[in-house]
Amino acid sequence: MALSKRVILGIVVIAIIAIAVGLSLNLVGQQKPSVAVVIRFSGWGAGETEVKNYEKAIGQFSKQYPGVVVKYEPISQMYHENILASFPAGAAPDVFYVDSSWASIFIKQGVLKALDDIDPGIASVKAQYYDFLLKPFMGPDGKLYGLPKDWSILFLAYNKQCLARAGLTTPPNDWPSFISSLKAITDATGKPALVDHYHWRTFVAMALAYGAPYPDFTSADSVRAWFNNDAVKKALKDYMDLYLDGYVKRMDAGKTPYVVLPRDVDSGWGGEAFGKQAACLTLEGSWMIPFIRDQFPNFKYGEQWDIAPLPGGPGGRFTLAFTVILGINSKSSHAEDAYRFAKYIAGKEGQEFLVIGLGHTLPTVKELATSPNMWPEHRKTLDQLNVYNNVYVWPTMRSDKAGAIIGTIDTVLQSHIANMKQTKTYDLNSLINDLINSIIKNL
Amino acid sequence: MSLKNKYHVFFSSKKHRREFLEGVLLILPATIMNFVFGYFAFIYTFYLSFFKWNYITQPLFIGMENYVRAFNELIGGLLGARWYEAPFFIGLRNVLIYTAIVVPIQTVLAIVLAAIASSRVRGSSIFTTSYLLPGFTSSVIIALIFIYFFSQKGFINYILNLIIPGFGYPDWLYLKSLIIPAMAIVAIWGTSSNLAILFIAAMQSIPRDVLEQARLDGAGPVRRFIHVVFPLIKPTVVYAIIVGTIGALQMFDLSFVMAGPQGGIEYSGMTVVLDIYRTAFLLLDPGYASAKAIVFLTLMYIPTVLFLRKYGGGFR
Repeated sequence: MALSKRVILGIVVIAIIAIAVGLSLNLVGQQKPSVAVVIRFSGWGAGETEVKNYEKAIGQFSKQYPGVVVKYEPISQMYHENILASFPAGAAPDVFYVDSSWASIFIKQGVLKALDDIDPGIASVKAQYYDFLLKPFMGPDGKLYGLPKDWSILFLAYNKQCLARAGLTTPPNDWPSFISSLKAITDATGKPALVDHYHWRTFVAMALAYGAPYPDFTSADSVRAWFNNDAVKKALKDYMDLYLDGYVKRMDAGKTPYVVLPRDVDSGWGGEAFGKQAACLTLEGSWMIPFIRDQFPNFKYGEQWDIAPLPGGPGGRFTLAFTVILGINSKSSHAEDAYRFAKYIAGKEGQEFLVIGLGHTLPTVKELATSPNMWPEHRKTLDQLNVYNNVYVWPTMRSDKAGAIIGTIDTVLQSHIANMKQTKTYDLNSLINDLINSIIKNL
Repeated sequence: MSLKNKYHVFFSSKKHRREFLEGVLLILPATIMNFVFGYFAFIYTFYLSFFKWNYITQPLFIGMENYVRAFNELIGGLLGARWYEAPFFIGLRNVLIYTAIVVPIQTVLAIVLAAIASSRVRGSSIFTTSYLLPGFTSSVIIALIFIYFFSQKGFINYILNLIIPGFGYPDWLYLKSLIIPAMAIVAIWGTSSNLAILFIAAMQSIPRDVLEQARLDGAGPVRRFIHVVFPLIKPTVVYAIIVGTIGALQMFDLSFVMAGPQGGIEYSGMTVVLDIYRTAFLLLDPGYASAKAIVFLTLMYIPTVLFLRKYGGGFR
């Protein structure tokens, strides 16, 4: 089929116009005197409301700092992949979210700008934040490499009616008593007591309480040493025995299990199983609170369910914190303005609006803990902070490849649980070997 | 006439020059896209496979080390290494099983569907429309729906227990032996309709007088299909098998959604492409991921060429 002369002419004319418009825009851009600094800001877009709130916060910032234009570029899918790819392309944003599991390698490789080098008064800024939230973002040089924008805490959520039927008002305070109370709760209620993912986060909180040292997965020897620690072995044995006795053997005997995985009760995660009241207790984080409010509005906090701290043990009482910082690109040509923006968003004013206003997470600025607008569920988790010996920031290990290692640990634990369901038993030594070798392979 | 003279005669005609220009203009966008996203990406992947890199630091040239690692994983897997020692081997093994299930069934099913759709049986148009619908739906959405179908108390177990009383309630996505068949079922359901469109087009291009002649010669519907229709659509069948095989070997979306980015229980839902993604973005080792991609490409390319040489006469 031959194209007519007119069509070809049309294509050529359109192409010329497009090129001319593009060039003229570029020229206009070059000729225009630079009146404002433009900084690019990226994070993962956690829903329409959050994105809109950020746009509003950026508007507020722009009113205070009219010389700085913030270009908000949320990345809705595959955030880390996009950010990683932007470095070699030379297109990384000026300010961006850095998850705590990536912080170590980003700091070591010089991707992030030390805030101490931008702000001589950084000490007073640091003092505003919870100290344990800043620790993972301090470099070997002792400098801070980002400001935590919000955080979540791991806690124990319990169904008050379930516990009341078992004659309890609150869950037991230590792991051994907590584990032994689960059978009684199920026997009294006829429903599974605990729903747990059998993931690293529960296990590490438990191991630390049993007296394990802080996990150091920086070398093969340190991995072997950690898993061969007696407290770690004891915690792992109790954790696996719990599923063997509480699920596998109970199911074989035709009884209701007292511990289940979310999938065992047709749920995607612990919060869903807890909200459906398919289980009485779960170990989940602050992210569960807005989910329960939204999806299970008739399951009332305070009346029907409540929050308790994680159980403790001979080593103390510990929980986990999950946080994200606003990091400044070390190659940013507007690092000071980028820092000004990060300080606003992660500061008191920004968090009052973005964090407390939205209600999804906890503020990292200590002063905001007393904000009258904070949801009571969140306030309770903050009130319980003083019962812990320490709060460790996820990924709760020293390693540059924490994200990959946690994925591996979770897969190994899940694989042994799946095999346990088939074989009705498990081998602790084989599990420990698999954990050690799989971690070493990913170091 | 020599080749040079042929070109001279061709380009001396204004009409031919214009046709040539039109042709170049029409293929230009596709060619540019192919070079940027195809050849450039391929060449860059090959280049990267000789480096150790983590996206941030300067790439370090390490020669063939990444290839040695990839082959060690394959050999280790063959020799019975633990699952976490050989994800590349497990991904390859899984994807070969998946391909062996998916390609024959989806091709046969697509031909049958196309035959029904091309027939003048009453209701065939409604059937065609309803069956082709999954082909226009995102595979990720289909996979998400099927996660619920494959749960212990899901639709699949419900139906199976109706058909086979006492079948039981296996957790398909949590059992090592069932996750690949589960993915295969989803793929067959989703892609056979796409292939059916190809076969419908091929069948409709068969001259009606050929079929009429066969009918007059006394051939029934089955014999007409075997001796007339099938030989005439054979190039399309070859094409469908090649495209289906390449698509199945490259499967990523279903495993990512149904098994998770870590590949599921003992990597039972791992595929090669998922392992490449995991190596590149979770283990921060794009050089090694590139080497795996090149090895995989080579492994895929050889049988494809051999198959094409043997059966692809009409197709080529």
